[in-house]
Amino acid sequence: MEIDTIKERVGEVLASILEHNNFEIHDELTAKDVDGWDSLSHMMIITKIEEEFGIRFKLRELNKLKNMGSLVSLIQTKA
Amino acid sequence: MVFNSFDFVGFIIPVLLLYWLVFRKSGVYQNILLLVASLFFYAWADWRFLALLIASTGINYYLGLKIYQSEDDDRKRNIFLYIGLVFNVGLLLYFKYFNFFYEGFFDLLNIFGADLSYSTLQILLPLGISFFTFQTLGYLIDVYNEEIEPSKDILEFSVFVTFFPKILSGPIERAASFIPQTQIKRTLTYEVFVDGLRQILWGLFAKVVIAENCAAIANPIFNTYEDQSGSTLLLGTFFYAIQLYADFSGYSNMAIGVSKLFGIQLMRNFSTPFFSTNIADFWRKWHISLTTWMMDYVFTPLSFTLRRHQKRGLMIAIVATFVLVGFWHGANWTFVVYGLLHGIYFIPLVYSGKMNTSEIVAKGKWFPSIKEIIKIGLLFFLIMLTDVFFRAPSVTEAFAYLIKIFSSSIIDFPSVLTGTATLTTLILTAFFIIIEWINREKKHDFEISNYHVLLRWSSYIFIFLLLIFFGRSAETFIYFQF
Repeated sequence: MEIDTIKERVGEVLASILEHNNFEIHDELTAKDVDGWDSLSHMMIITKIEEEFGIRFKLRELNKLKNMGSLVSLIQTKA
Repeated sequence: MVFNSFDFVGFIIPVLLLYWLVFRKSGVYQNILLLVASLFFYAWADWRFLALLIASTGINYYLGLKIYQSEDDDRKRNIFLYIGLVFNVGLLLYFKYFNFFYEGFFDLLNIFGADLSYSTLQILLPLGISFFTFQTLGYLIDVYNEEIEPSKDILEFSVFVTFFPKILSGPIERAASFIPQTQIKRTLTYEVFVDGLRQILWGLFAKVVIAENCAAIANPIFNTYEDQSGSTLLLGTFFYAIQLYADFSGYSNMAIGVSKLFGIQLMRNFSTPFFSTNIADFWRKWHISLTTWMMDYVFTPLSFTLRRHQKRGLMIAIVATFVLVGFWHGANWTFVVYGLLHGIYFIPLVYSGKMNTSEIVAKGKWFPSIKEIIKIGLLFFLIMLTDVFFRAPSVTEAFAYLIKIFSSSIIDFPSVLTGTATLTTLILTAFFIIIEWINREKKHDFEISNYHVLLRWSSYIFIFLLLIFFGRSAETFIYFQF
């Protein structure tokens, strides 16, 4: 799948869970930079991403994620 | 040796002078001094468990390296992690929870008709054990998850575990932010040093003026709750809620301030939690180092496992996590109920999906809106009720206390309000809350570095005078027992 398509769809997931779109998807983006993206909302975002792309993550893969770039590449390897 | 004692002043001044004048040549020298000072500090508090602290440091250091070195062998990695989990959790279970489960086991058998008598063991609780074992547990899990590399220098690692400003009551530090600070030579910066002193002053005020005066009112009420009116009991919980906050946030501010004097930044532990409008926001601001720890190492794996169950899974994960947060405080059902209630408070938020909105109340404005005031007041009231469980010696007594609050005597004039001591404490508390309100967007509760020099100095003098006139001596902190 195209990187840009993945980014766009991840952006939509974020906006739907967090109920705002005050963020710009780029590789260095981290949860800390996005209002409301904390440990409580994180798992809802992850679950929605899994549904959106029809994939399943492992907890260890998630723990290693550093930023949006690594999340997008992880999705790309699975989707 | 509590921060608000002359013993501590006598300890910290020579250590600071040595640190910045004699041991300043390199980070290694600084670490040697910090380690010696920390072990001395811990031994002064309770020398009997010094060996345990040293052993725990050594074992966790070794296990961290072993997990890392077994990179290519998953089985070995898992074994070393499990040894670490069993060791650290085992320490906690033995020293803190053994009697709780032991009694529970026999009580359960007796319910089913066994007629067994038992006597509990006399187990002393090593000071700070809940705090330092959580730090080392987090460290091992981080190494296992390859989020950090293990420390390869036992001196640095020992400073991480034993650093005296945080050893007795946290903040529960993370290796990822603490250890790098021990790897460089720390330099003395005027701004950081002064900011540390300021934070210590505010912490001291919160502890010896606010917490101790509130305690002087709340303690007799809780101790004689059977003879008090509902209205007095309600005020008792109000003063206890303020006491608990001022006690622990005061301690935390002092710990963070003292640490700054050594050029080391600890994590923020409180961020004006009572100005929250919902329970999730409250826990983002209350005992932050514990909550984030629980979120990362308990809630995340649990909610990951339960994620297919959508909101129901999330709800179960939250309630379970908060029961554990409660239980962390001590081996008593009261803390379990405390955690359970907080977990239950989350349920409406989970279902409405409004859990993730976190913002500073009335950002950039002087006053909150009416709607915000109502939300803040309601949340404070709900938290006050849970604090009865936090304070009461048993669940039965907590319920008796709460039932008495909501009796017809809730409309009586509260007798406690007649004393001048209560009015003085109310005024001091109002002052405390106003200053916290003004600084709610700042890095800490008394960050006034941008104020005019005259205003700054008059604030210091004013608080200093309050300390002299209204301060009470305090031998201990509530969180030392955990």
